[in-house]
Amino acid sequence: MKIFVLLFLTSLLFAHPHTFIDIYPDIVVENGKIKKLHLTWKIDEMTSSMLLMDVDSNGNGKIDKNEEKNIEQNYFNTMTDYDFYTYIKVAGKKVTLPEITHFHAFVEKNKVCYGFDFELHTNAKETSLEFGDSDFYIAMVLKDEFVKVKGAKAKVTGVDNDFYYGYRLEFK
Amino acid sequence: MMELYGHFMQQLVMYQYQINSYISQTIRSLNDENSFTTSLLILGIAFLYGLVHAIGPGHGKALVAVYFTSNKSDYKKAFKMGYLISIIHAISALVFTFGIFLILKTMFRRHFNELSQTTMIISAVMIIGVGLYLVYEAYKDKGKIEKKQKVKTKSEFAVAFSAGIVPCPGVMTIVLFNIVLGHYFLGVAAAIAMSIGMGLTISLAGIFSIAINKKVTTKLEKKTYLLEMMGGVLIVLLGSFLLLGAMGGHHH
Repeated sequence: MKIFVLLFLTSLLFAHPHTFIDIYPDIVVENGKIKKLHLTWKIDEMTSSMLLMDVDSNGNGKIDKNEEKNIEQNYFNTMTDYDFYTYIKVAGKKVTLPEITHFHAFVEKNKVCYGFDFELHTNAKETSLEFGDSDFYIAMVLKDEFVKVKGAKAKVTGVDNDFYYGYRLEFK
Repeated sequence: MMELYGHFMQQLVMYQYQINSYISQTIRSLNDENSFTTSLLILGIAFLYGLVHAIGPGHGKALVAVYFTSNKSDYKKAFKMGYLISIIHAISALVFTFGIFLILKTMFRRHFNELSQTTMIISAVMIIGVGLYLVYEAYKDKGKIEKKQKVKTKSEFAVAFSAGIVPCPGVMTIVLFNIVLGHYFLGVAAAIAMSIGMGLTISLAGIFSIAINKKVTTKLEKKTYLLEMMGGVLIVLLGSFLLLGAMGGHHH
């Protein structure tokens, strides 16, 4: 009974996902070190159509340079508060999020996509990345087939963080 | 237990992930030749989406659960309450979506977030009010065994209204997606189908709580007012938690 009430109470405090983002990592490892860590987020079609309503000011169904600037400043950068739903650990310790570079936004198969690099050049085997939204508002989805790695092998596992679920990416 | 819950929640998220992608593709595939069968399919998926969506957090299930655990009622009432909440939920989502779309046209996402925060605060304050009212009623009627039906109906409506007023972003998203593609009627119908699905889940939460209440009240016999009071206090707490959450959390 206690657990039952607790579950209801806690679950009520959390919103549930209305936005689904597929994460496509593209990573290059050289001499055991991460050389390039590029992520592409593919936002679900419904959220994308809302987003396009806001940002596609000329309505051509594409994201132009000035529209991209708007997305970066007013949408993408606001996620700094949430660490971009990415938690990086090096040698078992959580590190502050590295600098983000090369942001670009585009539309692919009706989905708005964000691409960017994390300037992280650590030892690949000691590094792990976790993705997830503790507010439970956005579902970050990582699947084996989304991952592209050169110079190492990647392993994707699910992580249970008590009240939200996430994914971990490690290297072998 | 917690691990099991986590897996269960994740499974729900993955179901929604699949349904979400399937429904948007189906809506997009709609054309003049397949419009009838595809529309029916879309409504079917929307119903299923609502059903699964409402199992997840929110949608007033906690409120319904606490209310029915602490107030004697029958299963029919739980259905009524579940559907009352989902009707208010649907109306609120439709009004807000069409309102924002027709009046403001742009910056939908930003208004969407401000709006859901505002309605969440209103809802939380109302829930606190309902809780206080329930405590007061329980205290006033502590001598009486059977409550006046009028008081009960009033408090049931208040519970449903305070829980349902927050528009469901899931419903709003589907409605808007349909509007953007020019399917105005289908958008409204999908909102209704999804709400019927959610109503069923919320009703089940109520039925589950009534079953618990039946067990507890037979033990308490004539002191049911104590349970009702506890329920009221719990609802006040719930509202306070929600208020804190709504004021602290800013979504994007």
